[in-house]
Amino acid sequence: MVCSVSVSKPLQTGPAGRRNRFAIVSGGEVEEQEGDCSESCLLTDEHLVSGFSDTILATILAPKSELCGKKFELKVDDVRFVGHATLLQHENSSQACKADPSPKREVPTMILFNVVFALRAHADPSLIGYVHTLSRRLALALRREEWRCQYLTREAKVMLAAQDEMGAHDGESPFQDVLPKSKLARDLKEIYDNLCSTGLVQLYINNWLEVSFCLPHKVHKVESGHVSPESISRSLRNIRPYHALLLLGECKSLLSELPPDVSPALSRLIKITTPMKTLQQLALDSDLALAQVCQLASHLVYWGKANIIFPLCESNVYMLSSTADTYVYSANAENFSQQFPGHDLPSMLAEFSLPTPLVEHRNPLANPDQQAQLVHMVVWLLQRRLLIQLHTYVCLMVPDADESDATSGTVCRPPVFLECGLSTQEARATSVPNTLPVGSPSSGDDLTLASPVTEVTSAEASSAEFGLGGEDSPVGAGAYENPLSVLTEHERRCILAVPAAQNQDDLRLFTRLLPYFCGRQHLEDVMYHENVRRSQLLTLLDKFRGVLAIRTHEDPALPALHCLPS
Amino acid sequence: MKQPPQSESPQDEVPEDYLSRELFDMVHVYIITKPELQNKLITVTALDKKLVGCPVCIEHKKYSRNALLFNLGMVCDAKTKTCSLEPLVKKLAGYLKTLELENGFVSNESSKQQLPKLMEVLLKEINESGKCTLPIDNSNTINLKVIEHRRTPATVQEYEVPVFTQCWDYDASQWDLTTQQILPCIDGFRHLRKISDEADVELNLVRIAVQNLLYYGVVAIVPIFQYSNVYCATPRLQLLAEDASLQDECLTYITKPGYRKATLRAAFLLYSSLSPGTTVRDLCCRHAPHLQHIDERKLVQFGLMKGFIRRLHKIPLKLPAEGRGKISRWFNGCHCYDEICCKKGLSYKELEEKTEHDPGIIIFWK
Repeated sequence: MVCSVSVSKPLQTGPAGRRNRFAIVSGGEVEEQEGDCSESCLLTDEHLVSGFSDTILATILAPKSELCGKKFELKVDDVRFVGHATLLQHENSSQACKADPSPKREVPTMILFNVVFALRAHADPSLIGYVHTLSRRLALALRREEWRCQYLTREAKVMLAAQDEMGAHDGESPFQDVLPKSKLARDLKEIYDNLCSTGLVQLYINNWLEVSFCLPHKVHKVESGHVSPESISRSLRNIRPYHALLLLGECKSLLSELPPDVSPALSRLIKITTPMKTLQQLALDSDLALAQVCQLASHLVYWGKANIIFPLCESNVYMLSSTADTYVYSANAENFSQQFPGHDLPSMLAEFSLPTPLVEHRNPLANPDQQAQLVHMVVWLLQRRLLIQLHTYVCLMVPDADESDATSGTVCRPPVFLECGLSTQEARATSVPNTLPVGSPSSGDDLTLASPVTEVTSAEASSAEFGLGGEDSPVGAGAYENPLSVLTEHERRCILAVPAAQNQDDLRLFTRLLPYFCGRQHLEDVMYHENVRRSQLLTLLDKFRGVLAIRTHEDPALPALHCLPS
Repeated sequence: MKQPPQSESPQDEVPEDYLSRELFDMVHVYIITKPELQNKLITVTALDKKLVGCPVCIEHKKYSRNALLFNLGMVCDAKTKTCSLEPLVKKLAGYLKTLELENGFVSNESSKQQLPKLMEVLLKEINESGKCTLPIDNSNTINLKVIEHRRTPATVQEYEVPVFTQCWDYDASQWDLTTQQILPCIDGFRHLRKISDEADVELNLVRIAVQNLLYYGVVAIVPIFQYSNVYCATPRLQLLAEDASLQDECLTYITKPGYRKATLRAAFLLYSSLSPGTTVRDLCCRHAPHLQHIDERKLVQFGLMKGFIRRLHKIPLKLPAEGRGKISRWFNGCHCYDEICCKKGLSYKELEEKTEHDPGIIIFWK
């Protein structure tokens, strides 16, 4: 990636016939995106960009004023230039000049500028959008500073002077000389270096205006794969109050990275957050509104500091991720051995090859310290996306209408429900039980993974609280009265034919949970919304297994937890 | 089609006046460019339009200003992906340059008149069918085609299996000789090494041919089928529960010929039962009744192709003795059973015996 600023002054100034232009180019590496590196590896990025002379760059990167104020995109062979050309003409500036006759205030001559990034032509299209956003943010800050105190003009003067000096020594690049003299040049270099390394940009233009930016492609980089920006946005949209926040680094180091003017709510949240507590519990503990906690959590996820997971508890089932690096001497293996002496990563990962509830990984004879260490190890593995969590999904699927009817074409299908899911707003607006009925009842051991179980409140009351008649509810208000009415005659018959349907309580519970049996909500979701215990639910599913299809896999609503192979 | 610079406006446009004067003024510097940018593919976006062009410069004393600069460009909607048009534009630029050098096609007043007509044909045919034949004169014809840009697929391993993505009614003569030779061997069960042996074609050639087919979406790649394989369900299985046409396709595919059509419930149950720890053999034992009229190989194959299930590979790792001892070449945690068996010529059983009897070996499934 190459960062360049090209500045255009009106033709009238400067020696006649010679346009006064300047471009800073700090060369370096270009981001390797999914676009294949193998084809064009013969041409390094320096070659690609140094194929353009400064003059030609200045010509093509300073567009006409009509193209200003919007995305600037130009592709020349293998290089794509992305920027946001900005006009500097402002009515107030000329008036201010007249009003303020002080000699220090010169008449500004710059009419437009453009901060341009050069990418490989086949870079990921989403990358272009992000880079453009950064360019626009920089443009806004620079324009502000130019209007306020002619910052750009001053810096341009410094750079031009340095260039003129070096002009005497032909062939040498003036840029090394410019860097110590110009703050703007150093800022640009810092932006470039940061984008290429961590993907995080945070600096102050003219030591005054903050520009911060995060490039998801770099920020969410995982050792053995990558997480797409879409996965991050999707996960953020699917945050629920029963989710937990998993910090991806040490709490202390995260706190030290925060800027000085950070909101105290964020620091408070980071200090008390633990992967065992739900966002709801965190809200209560930190005395913040649930909505605010969700927003802060989203913020942390966006900046790659945390991830949204299902809270750790004994009944969670984890499995080795398909993208985990199982090489015996992987970087992760070294870190693991340092962090947990006496244990090695491969053995730990092998234990998770067969998914079993977390409680079964525990050694009942181990002392409390060792129990706690297991939790720490699981957290460590989750932070590096080496484990995925499996959830159970249920689908209503009755046997065929007539076993011998082969050609009727009546393929059974689960009832077509509306999107099953309550939005965060809805859940927030209604009152929710004090604690979540997740996991098995605490057995008093030190793992402290399980949350205490609530009393099961009456079904109707809790359902009404969650506003099941709302827009997002699985079935319309009328159907809630009798969910069985959305089923076909055949489906109803099959359900009622199940022996357990004779038991009124069982049938009532089944009917109440029927809207969730569309395969889109996992058991924990059902337990949360309907306030049922896991054991109750599992028993019910077993009784009605003749009309249900049950499967286990990772949660598609949280794609940020899984990475794609690189 | 633009020529500089005294007439700073497009000389020929098809359709006429498509480019507003305003737009042209904004971008003309990218169309008729400085010499440094000659022969480069330039794409510029402005005012909701995207222009793709390749400026050409021919220097010669006979021209006024000693040089002829021209550029035949394509104008599209700003949101269009134009990378597939680029080879076309480049080729056209090359052709026009040659024609000009040979008989002054572009600069000659009389032959210039043909250009708008040619551009009309070009526009119409490319928009309609993606290809175009432009007859210039008795001896010159330009053939153009828009090639869709696809992602390069991952390398196919010798222990992987190509399977046709649909019932292709292919005309074998359209393919190269190697592909023709291996096509009959592609049955969705033979892996590359086996195809190479049976078709008597060198392995790397088979690999290249299959990758070519993969690139065009003619085949998909699935792992080898064995009864000892382990699979697990993916979130995509939900599609089977919701999409009626997919359900039909699935049930038709997996039913054994001559038997009555499988039920959706049976198919779904079987897919859901595939889980870590369960081999296909276990599945067959547990669900024998369902599998009376379902072909388990086809069931697995369909599931893999549509992404309902994924294969869990068995990966052995031999932990080194104290410290950073020497690590085994094959048992370093990077190679799955399929690969080891294929490359070392072992059967699954033989490899299993080796790993079972060695206490220092741990197994991953992923």
